[in-house]
Amino acid sequence: MRDWNAIAKAIVKRFTFIEILKGMALTLRRMFSHAVTIQYPKERRPIAPGFRGQHALAKRQGEAKCVGCGLCAAICPSQCISIGRAKGKVTKYEIEVLRCIYCGFCVEACPYGAIALTENYEYSAYRKEDLILKRERLLESWDKYMPGTKGEEYFKKFWRPMSDDFGTPPGQATFRGKQQ
Amino acid sequence: MIQKEAERIFETRELNVNMGPQHPATHGVLRLVLDIDGETIVKVTPYVGYLHRGIEKLGENLSYFQALPLTDRMDYVSAMSNNIGYCVAVEKLFGIDPPMRAKFIRTIVGEMSRIANHLLWLATHALDIGAMTVFLYCFREREWILDLFEMICGARLTVTYPRVGGVRNDVPQAFLDSLWKFTEEFPSRILEYETLIDQNRIWLQRTVGIGVISAEEAVNWGMTGPTLRGSGVPYDVRKHMPYDAYDQVEFDVPIGTAGDTYDRYRCRMLEMRQSNSIIRQCIEKLPPGPVMADDPKFVLPPKDKMLPITQPTDMAYFIIEKACKGCGMCLRACPAKAISGEKKKAHKIDQSQCLQCSTCFTTCKFKALTVVPGGKGLSDEKLAELAVAPDKLPDDIKEAQQNLTRQFDFIKKGPKVPEGEIYVATEVPKGELGFYFVSDGSGKPYRMRVRAPSFVHAGCLPRLCVGHLVADVIAAIGTIDIVLGECDR
Repeated sequence: MRDWNAIAKAIVKRFTFIEILKGMALTLRRMFSHAVTIQYPKERRPIAPGFRGQHALAKRQGEAKCVGCGLCAAICPSQCISIGRAKGKVTKYEIEVLRCIYCGFCVEACPYGAIALTENYEYSAYRKEDLILKRERLLESWDKYMPGTKGEEYFKKFWRPMSDDFGTPPGQATFRGKQQ
Repeated sequence: MIQKEAERIFETRELNVNMGPQHPATHGVLRLVLDIDGETIVKVTPYVGYLHRGIEKLGENLSYFQALPLTDRMDYVSAMSNNIGYCVAVEKLFGIDPPMRAKFIRTIVGEMSRIANHLLWLATHALDIGAMTVFLYCFREREWILDLFEMICGARLTVTYPRVGGVRNDVPQAFLDSLWKFTEEFPSRILEYETLIDQNRIWLQRTVGIGVISAEEAVNWGMTGPTLRGSGVPYDVRKHMPYDAYDQVEFDVPIGTAGDTYDRYRCRMLEMRQSNSIIRQCIEKLPPGPVMADDPKFVLPPKDKMLPITQPTDMAYFIIEKACKGCGMCLRACPAKAISGEKKKAHKIDQSQCLQCSTCFTTCKFKALTVVPGGKGLSDEKLAELAVAPDKLPDDIKEAQQNLTRQFDFIKKGPKVPEGEIYVATEVPKGELGFYFVSDGSGKPYRMRVRAPSFVHAGCLPRLCVGHLVADVIAAIGTIDIVLGECDR
């Protein structure tokens, strides 16, 4: 007993290339929709707040918040932070970004809210020395990439854990139904 | 005689071919030495270790908290799953239980990571076999997931989002909305991939009956994950030893029957649909509540209740002469070397040298070091007048001081961990990822061992390839879904 119907179907499938034509139709349809790729140097994708990019040393009233306690250097898994102090001042604060793995633990370790990761990710250089960020450059990038209240908001959102994380703050994200 | 001469001249020998470590289809730096007889594979010897970074050894020199970013770099295609695996293992060792909301968030991001991984697997597997279009389609959806990862933690690939005891931060509303939209659209996108390859005759010819392994043999070779399930063994860590919120959601474990490359492909496609459904259930059930376990021993204290934030910066640190025993703890700890004094005599802080970093404050055991609010710039005599013992400070300052001490202790020494050893397995997209810790009670693991599914699967390659053609080796590498970062660690 042979299933002639199935055999006929298989023959039709084999000689009409139906599944390949279906695939071709899909790709052809895609030709008329918008491109999903972007042309990088001309177009830039929007960066989410809290992006872990180049570092910056936070300022309060024009002064660096960093006191040089060394907790960031202690927690850094790749040990890329070095700090020097003299006469009650932080004289040296260097981050070797070639070694940095951008985990953001330095931000989490700092009890002073003195270091932040900014949204800048374009700071390639030709020389190694340019990629060892000195204290001055880190302070500059705070002014450059965290202007106005942006810095404060950054710390409010991404300097964790806060006491909110141990309780139930109002306005927690929930499922808002299918209309969203 | 002539025949013997002819045999000598036209002697057939097996040819030895090096495939990799730099080969576009070996998914990284895998080197295979193939012994081939014509086009047929006689023997395959995989060589691994080209991407060895010593992550297990590095883990022994970093505290449990610090070693977390290392796990991102193992299976970088699904970094989130590795992080979760690590955190689940360390939590079990510590004996802490993350809050429910954190568990649900972890389950969501874990399944997102599974979809992202399977998309990349499908993209590269199809590309290796020759279907370029699928690659572009898969990356469109993967990009969406990576954007969502960026939204919650600021990184797209090496996320470091889960923490021991919960997650780094709560998810924003925009994330949940966008993810819900994704889950609504994703099933139709899977149908698109299937339109392209599922019934395609070239795809079928390249996958059906290639790399067949029976259920019994697959278990014996130590296969796990979809690679094992393709042979018809319904083993899934999420189902058998549920962690996080997997016991609260309903899902099926898709299995294959024939155990060939095509069945493993079908398993992964079905698994993506299951992951999609798990995400949807989790979003619907996401409970309100904390996202970090409130266990002062093992998690960082809240930042907004710490001395430098609750108190304005014009405080000064001062050593009360009567209480100081001259033990030298603060002297050694001070990073600015602002403390002077001889042994067993009262020490003194040079206020002009002091950075006000509070390191000394967190080391003193004799209640001699205290903080004077509003004391910056005052003379030593004035400070001596104002200073009160640290246990007589106002309650809010005392709490803030305790939190700060916890922060310093946690980061400099690491948490005090119970002794013992533990093995915890989690289901990552590749298979069963296990973490084995031996703890000697210090802040760092005595031994950290990772059971990487890719390593085990790389060992199965000879079994899958022998008897097939050279081109099928590519299909076999693709079907076990290895990432050499995880394999070599």
